[in-house]
Amino acid sequence: METGPILRAMTRNKLGVILISLQIAFTMTVVINAFFIINERSRLMARPSGLDEANTFFLTSIGFGENFNGAVTVADDLAMLRQLPGVVDVTVTNAIPVSGSGSNSGVRLVDDESAPAAYAAYYRVDEHAVETMDLDIIAGRNFTTQEIQWRKSGEAIATDQLIISRALASRMFPEREPSAVLGETLYISGLPPHQVIGIVEQLQGPWPTNNNLELSMLQPIHSFDGADTYLLRTAPGERDRLMVEVEEMLVASNGSRIIRNLMSLERTRAESYQVDSAMSTILWVVIVTLVFITCMGIVGLAVFGINRRRKQIGTRRALGATRMQILRHFMVENFLVSGLGVTLGAVLTIGFGIGLTSIFNMPVMAWYYTPLGMLALIVIGQVAVLGPSSGAARTEPAIATRSV
Amino acid sequence: MLKMTDVCKVFRTELVETHALSDFSLTIDEGEFVSITGPSGCGKTTFLNIAGLLETLTSGQYLLDGTDVSTLSDFQRAKLRNQKIGFIFQSFNLMPDLNLFDNIDVPLRYRGMKASERKQRIDQALDSVGLLSRKKHVPSQLSGGQQQRVAIARALVGKPLFLLADEPTGNLDSNTAHGVMDLLHEINADGTTIIMVTHDLELATQSRRNVHILDGRISSPVLTPVDFHRESATVGS
Repeated sequence: METGPILRAMTRNKLGVILISLQIAFTMTVVINAFFIINERSRLMARPSGLDEANTFFLTSIGFGENFNGAVTVADDLAMLRQLPGVVDVTVTNAIPVSGSGSNSGVRLVDDESAPAAYAAYYRVDEHAVETMDLDIIAGRNFTTQEIQWRKSGEAIATDQLIISRALASRMFPEREPSAVLGETLYISGLPPHQVIGIVEQLQGPWPTNNNLELSMLQPIHSFDGADTYLLRTAPGERDRLMVEVEEMLVASNGSRIIRNLMSLERTRAESYQVDSAMSTILWVVIVTLVFITCMGIVGLAVFGINRRRKQIGTRRALGATRMQILRHFMVENFLVSGLGVTLGAVLTIGFGIGLTSIFNMPVMAWYYTPLGMLALIVIGQVAVLGPSSGAARTEPAIATRSV
Repeated sequence: MLKMTDVCKVFRTELVETHALSDFSLTIDEGEFVSITGPSGCGKTTFLNIAGLLETLTSGQYLLDGTDVSTLSDFQRAKLRNQKIGFIFQSFNLMPDLNLFDNIDVPLRYRGMKASERKQRIDQALDSVGLLSRKKHVPSQLSGGQQQRVAIARALVGKPLFLLADEPTGNLDSNTAHGVMDLLHEINADGTTIIMVTHDLELATQSRRNVHILDGRISSPVLTPVDFHRESATVGS
């Protein structure tokens, strides 16, 4: 290998080497950290809500006029919708998971004014919520029909049962298995003591960016306040048809209300994660652009260097270099420049990562990002320089004897 | 050692077909110092390129040290160049970014020789041209004559079958040129065959044999040293 002479020759042409190394280092720093951010966003966006999102939609029925009777309307609607072919189940709820809008409350183990052990989202639903949301009860039981409190807005809450997510159970009772949490009493701000009767595997809250997204609970309550949100799960493939059909049916069944917010859960998720999705797209554009520019820089430096040294290449060929040896010469040269760049880039990447962690409270980047990034940049560099190097290798040795 | 028989070299473009060498036959024996002369465009450089395996011939036969090189692959010709031929170029063709040691090291590295043996040979070659003390210098720190000495050391370091010198004094002043020619004579006296292409008939007189090329053919008869002065006078008039 000609590593020694190539290195010594590079020290006599420092400027180009330093500039391209800095470009590689900068590219690596931005690309790896951007890639890490994209992966983090993708991981967050891919977290399951716990619901059968592909087959679920919701709508809000808003009553108006003096004759509108919320309790009767909701009871009639639920009964009618549950009879509809293709509907798996329906529940009425105060909030929709991952929608960005809902309610939460402090949860305590003791009934005092101390800081809550957790803040958890709550869904006020009937006994059909578990089936509608496709939740998996891993301990305990569902609500019974008799446990649901249908109340007017402002009326005191008289229920004392709770179904909570596994994440909330773990937060409140870190050392216990879910089944050991059953029967425990939790204190929710401003409400009577609640007893845990069931635990579901997963149920996300309404706020995707919230750190406590997985902490949630179901309360067997529905309040009539004029606006009732129905959550419906359909058989696979029936959702879009039923969205149209259900809206028309509800509008036709009662002239004292309007239907609003008809939306699938998939679209809700997409809208809630729109910023994250857009950021990922922007970062991908940045990555591709930077890598492209760096490749162009590498190719440019290689082509310039080859054209400048065309006669030297011919001389090397005259002195006995095979085409493969010429190819290898330029590949090694690029490898050394890239090696310098990615080494510097590794330092910058780690430093930048530490900055992101401390300033923006992001998770620590996994150790393998940096070596994988170094490897990727070196491979990209080698691929970029392959074309110009192959061209150099095709230089005819007779060029050595030409006077110009 | 070198035997060309009816060698032809034709350069073709869409419009023109140029016969650079036609029915060119020449034999050079071991230990000779042969000068190749001729006017510009006569085919001197083409002969040099074919003799040095830098270009392929169109037809004919070229035996180098008994091997027919006419049909060798690019790879085989590169290996043969590396092992059997030493090149000295008019413009020295040193690598400006490499020091003298690394410059002379170039052909040896392509041969895959061990580092210890390479070092020994390079030091010896540099010593033989009087530049051992300057082995860490780069070419730009040397005069033209010194650079050509380095090029000669690079040509000799592989212990080639023969040296091909292309106008070796073309870029040097007369005093320096004499020094380089003296060095070439010393090398030849030590048994190394030298083939020198030049348009300088004065220099050609210093070789043991001259081959004069005209329009791609050897203009017979081949001149002896005695004939040079007459030839020079003819060209001069």
